[in-house]
Parts: sequence; C-alpha cells; structure tokens
Amino acid sequence: MSIPHLNDDELNLAVLGEDLPPEAAEHLAVCLDCRRRRDAFLNLVQEARGADPDAAARARVRERALAAWGATSSRHWVRWLAAAAAVIVLSLLPLLRDRAPAPQIINADAVMIEVDQMLERDPLSAVAAEEIVDTVVPVSAESGERSVS
Amino acid sequence: MASVARRETALGREDERELVEAARRGDRDAAEMLLETHELLVFRTCGRLLPPGEDVEAAVQETLLRALKNLGRFTGQGSFAGWLAAIAVNLCRDRLRRKRLVSFLPLEVRDEDGRNPLAAVPSAEPNPERVAMARQAVNRLHREVSRLPRRQQEVFALRFFAELDLGDIATALGVDVGTVKTHLHRAVQRVRVAVEEARP
Repeated sequence: MSIPHLNDDELNLAVLGEDLPPEAAEHLAVCLDCRRRRDAFLNLVQEARGADPDAAARARVRERALAAWGATSSRHWVRWLAAAAAVIVLSLLPLLRDRAPAPQIINADAVMIEVDQMLERDPLSAVAAEEIVDTVVPVSAESGERSVS
Repeated sequence: MASVARRETALGREDERELVEAARRGDRDAAEMLLETHELLVFRTCGRLLPPGEDVEAAVQETLLRALKNLGRFTGQGSFAGWLAAIAVNLCRDRLRRKRLVSFLPLEVRDEDGRNPLAAVPSAEPNPERVAMARQAVNRLHREVSRLPRRQQEVFALRFFAELDLGDIATALGVDVGTVKTHLHRAVQRVRVAVEEARP
C-alpha cells in the first residue's frame, strides 16, 4: 500500500525544515513529486532573495555608521568632561568657602561697657555734636558742666 | 537553515558578548567586527521590508548606528542578531508608517528600480522563455508576500530573506516562538499555494 502524497500542512513543515510525522517523512524520502514541490518553493525563495550588496557597498555603509558613532561618542566625551568639571568645582566649593576671611565676632558686652563709660563722661555726646550743645546750653564757668534743663 | 551571522563567521555567543562589551567601551575595532558580522542580515531585512524607492543603504546605516548607540541596552539574553533585526524591523515600520504605505514590494516599480532579484540571473541563460517564467514566478512570490498581513510579511522576510532562525525572529518581533511558527505556517501556506497555482 502506497503512502499518500504530503498534504498542505506537511508540505509547509517540509519547506520550513521542521519535523514531519514519521509516515510523511518516510514518504518524502521516496517521493520525487513531493520533494520537487518542496525544492521548487525553496529555490524560488532563494531566487527572490536576490543578490546581496557587494563588499564595497557594505564597507561604505559600515564606515559611515562607525564615523557617525565616533562623532557622537566624542561629543559624549565632551559632555562627560564638562559634567566631571562641574562636579569637581561643586565639590571644591566648601573648601574655597572655608578659606574666605572669617566674619568678625562682635563682643556686645565690651561695646556696651564702652558706651556706658562714654555716656558717663558726657551724656549729651550721644545726641549731638559738642559745638551745638555748647551753643544751646552754655557751659557754666564754675561747675564746668553743661546743664540739660 | 543557518542564520546569516552564524554562516558568515564562527562567532560564538561568548565572543559576541566580549565584542559588545569592548564596543561599549568605545573600541572601534570591536564595533567594526560586530557590524561586519551582522550587516548582511540588516541589508536583507531592510531590503525586503522597505518599499522600492526607499534608500536601503541609508536605512541600514541608521540601523547600525542605532545599534551602536544603544549597545548598553543589549542585555545579552537573546542573540545579537535578533536584537539587531528588531532595530531594523522597527526602523522599517517607522518609515512605512511615515509614508503611510500599506504594502511593500510592488514589483513593477521594483523592476524599474533595478532591484529585481532576477537581475542576478545570468544573461547567458540558454532559454529566454525559462528566464521569463522564472521572473514571473519571482514576481508572483513577491506579490503574494506583499499581500500578507504585516506581521506575516515580517516573519516571512526574516525567515527566508534574512535567514534568521525562529528564536531570533521571536526576539526581533518581541513575540514567542510559537507565535512566530503560527505566522510562518500561515504565510508559507498562502504564498506557496498561490505560487503553485500560477505555475503552468
């Protein structure tokens, strides 16, 4: 009893190089017609694939891609360099700040003592220049003190 | 069917990973070797997925450049070929979308464009009638492929023109191998039957 020709599914499997059911595989091994159908399609596909680009075309495209990549890579380097410089500057900022002259710390108590002493010596010196005070409030000859009344 | 990459060189997965690593660090020689190994599959993918009139070389160049720029995103889980094919397919989809083209490979234009695969048929063929028949058959095949749904077109082109294996096609299209098989069987069934029916 002869095994029937491959059906569509089996022929597709044969075209794709996949495993066939044992009976179909057995049939394909001996059936010239089925092998011809499979090979005809594969040959047609091979023909339809066409000629590959020649070596020159391939090299040209490859070189262009590499050149463009190199250009972007170097631009990336510049960016990285700039970023690194920024990081370094930012990390050095606190150190630079430390080197700036320290602000003077005013001793408020000492100032207040000085002000008190000054007012004790001459209470009006805090409100007006000496010539004006002399004009408005003449100095008494005896006491040598200014009157505020 | 062996993939283009594997046929062209004996670049193993480990060697490939080392090359990718070196290229990531800016090693131009490593990048060049990677491209040289895989560029043919990009040519074939773009050449088949883009419509006539599109600048295939420019598309290939852009694909290769995108790959180099994004080497850091290659995880190494799938093959480099599959990853690269994914970039090529996406680029072709973008270009098709931009041009609002529904189908590709209209053969009349293809002939005028000088990209007819039968240009490779030797002119010294003894039987002109056979040449004409072969040309018709190829035209028929391209026409049938162009009529397939988009996903089937991509699977067919990646399998038969770019010669990727099922795993790489799955990686390229972001689907599982079972889905690839399903699309492939449907595509082969439709194209093969149409071509056989047209045969005298």
